Amino acid sequence: MFSSINNRISQIHLTSNVKQTIVAMLGVTFGISMYIFMTGFMTGVNDAQTELAFSALAHVRIYNDGPSDNTNIAKQIYPNSLINVRSAKVIRYTDGIKNSSAIIAALKSEKQVTNFATQVNVNVFFKNAGNKINGIVSGVDVTNESKVFKISEDMVEGSWDELKFHSDGIIVGIELAKNLGLKINDNVNILTSDGLTKNYKVIGIFRTYLSSIDKSKAYITIGAARQLLSVNQDYVTDIQINVANYDKTAELVDHISRLIPYKVESWQTSNQQLVAVNLLRYIIAVAVSLTILLVAGFGIYNIMNMTINQKIREIAILKAMGFSGGDVTQIFLTEAIIIGVIGGIIGMLLGFGISRGVNRIPFNVSGMETLPMSYSPQNYILAFMFGLITTFVAGYLPAHKASKIDPVSILRG
Amino acid sequence: MSELILKADNIVKYFYEPEKFQVLKGISFEVKKGEFLALVGKSGCGKSTLMYVLSTMDTDYEGSLTIKDTLLTNQSQNQLAAFRNEHIGFVFQFHYLLPEFSALENVMIPALKLKRYSKAEVEEKAYKHLELLGLKDQALKNANKLSGGQQQRVAIARALINDPSIIMGDEPTGNLDTANTQIVFDIFRELAKERNQTIIAVTHDDDFAKNCDRIIEMKDGQMV
Repeated sequence: MFSSINNRISQIHLTSNVKQTIVAMLGVTFGISMYIFMTGFMTGVNDAQTELAFSALAHVRIYNDGPSDNTNIAKQIYPNSLINVRSAKVIRYTDGIKNSSAIIAALKSEKQVTNFATQVNVNVFFKNAGNKINGIVSGVDVTNESKVFKISEDMVEGSWDELKFHSDGIIVGIELAKNLGLKINDNVNILTSDGLTKNYKVIGIFRTYLSSIDKSKAYITIGAARQLLSVNQDYVTDIQINVANYDKTAELVDHISRLIPYKVESWQTSNQQLVAVNLLRYIIAVAVSLTILLVAGFGIYNIMNMTINQKIREIAILKAMGFSGGDVTQIFLTEAIIIGVIGGIIGMLLGFGISRGVNRIPFNVSGMETLPMSYSPQNYILAFMFGLITTFVAGYLPAHKASKIDPVSILRG
Repeated sequence: MSELILKADNIVKYFYEPEKFQVLKGISFEVKKGEFLALVGKSGCGKSTLMYVLSTMDTDYEGSLTIKDTLLTNQSQNQLAAFRNEHIGFVFQFHYLLPEFSALENVMIPALKLKRYSKAEVEEKAYKHLELLGLKDQALKNANKLSGGQQQRVAIARALINDPSIIMGDEPTGNLDTANTQIVFDIFRELAKERNQTIIAVTHDDDFAKNCDRIIEMKDGQMV
């Protein structure tokens, strides 16, 4: 079937009308480069957003969710009876996580867990010279906190690691510092809900570009936070966990939640809108690029059809000389595939070039410097494959038509 | 000279467009090896139609066709294509060369398809045939750069390349001037005589027909 004379004829067809061949190739090139650029850009945007989100969000969080509503137990047993309980109250017997060292030991044996950080979060008022702002002070394990949230990269003034050596030190968000009029080495007073107050010295200022955090959060050491609440060394309010692949948290959540009595929540559950937006953006990118490829496919289909109409006598004479329908299909399909492969390779290069160009456009919003771009090889391979499939289908239909040409009706005129 | 090469038995063919019409009304005849046969008749008498049936390209007929002891009726298109490639050479009124190929390549194509010989051997053979037809110096020119007579001679060389048993022509000289017609006729004559190849040609040209071994005249779908 794959005799070289067929390939020779394909080659002559492609090279004898170079302009037409180039136009067909440009269709594929354009489609594939757009596909690569669009998906690369969308993936880049998604990655940037995910990275931004994970500067304040761990992949999995363990915390004490509070008691369930058991104020009307009788109703649960006799659902159809009329029961009245007066002044029912939800009573919280436990606060935070008491036995953290046992949970940490369990986490260390999980393979997917890459980093985890314990926190003691306290709702407080920050006070400085008459200004009073409510917010959260987070008592953290300095080294592990930075591993999970990369907070040390967000420091504007001072150094994150300094916190290790200052049990009275505090690192505050940039907006919070501005609103309270705080500078490095200033003192800030903290008031807890139990009425306790304590002074801390500002040793650093951070900016995450998430304004809700920059406005209301401050970090102290976990020991200082425990001291503030008068709790023991095993007490934490949250355990924040990062896993190797943030798309795969379900298994870990499922496993841990059986072992411990606290709430185990993945980022997908707590931020469903983020997952939805990421997915929608990806769908739009794929839809747009596939449309472009489809249009390119129609271009190839048209050109192949035109070629076959031009060469209809040639096809008839080939058949008269003993070429089978399969030979004719092969000749024209080979042409389409050569157009697809060369157009595709140029398209991948062009797509990479466009991506690099767009990646250099300045974009100074929320910590980015240029427009985001992803260069994942998977996108390039997919684009090339889609391009090949498109050309194959667009080439096969006219080629099949050509193979069905009846030589008698053409040669008799 | 008496070996039978082609046998047509009671061939009947209808045209369905614009309305049903019987073109061939039961034609039977035999052709011997090395015969130079002319099919003549008025326009519309069915001689071209008969030739296309004999050529195996037209399969929509009743009756049976046997060439070289092979029954060709009801064979698949692909089997027929392979048979044509090996055993039948064609010369048409218009040359139908592939315009983007050189004369030499045009001649080589059927042989490259057949793959009986290597490419080098095919090329040598193609040169010989072009030489026989006086075209050796034109071999590397593109087919569309040749004159009408030269193109027709290239088409003949192409028909001869696989040493077919039968060469069929549909008005092979219809588009040529007297001088070129004479050249083509002489070539056919020589092929029939020296190589024992059978030639069946549809023609309008009475001079051409007169010099053939046998003339089959047709009228209204029947042999006269």
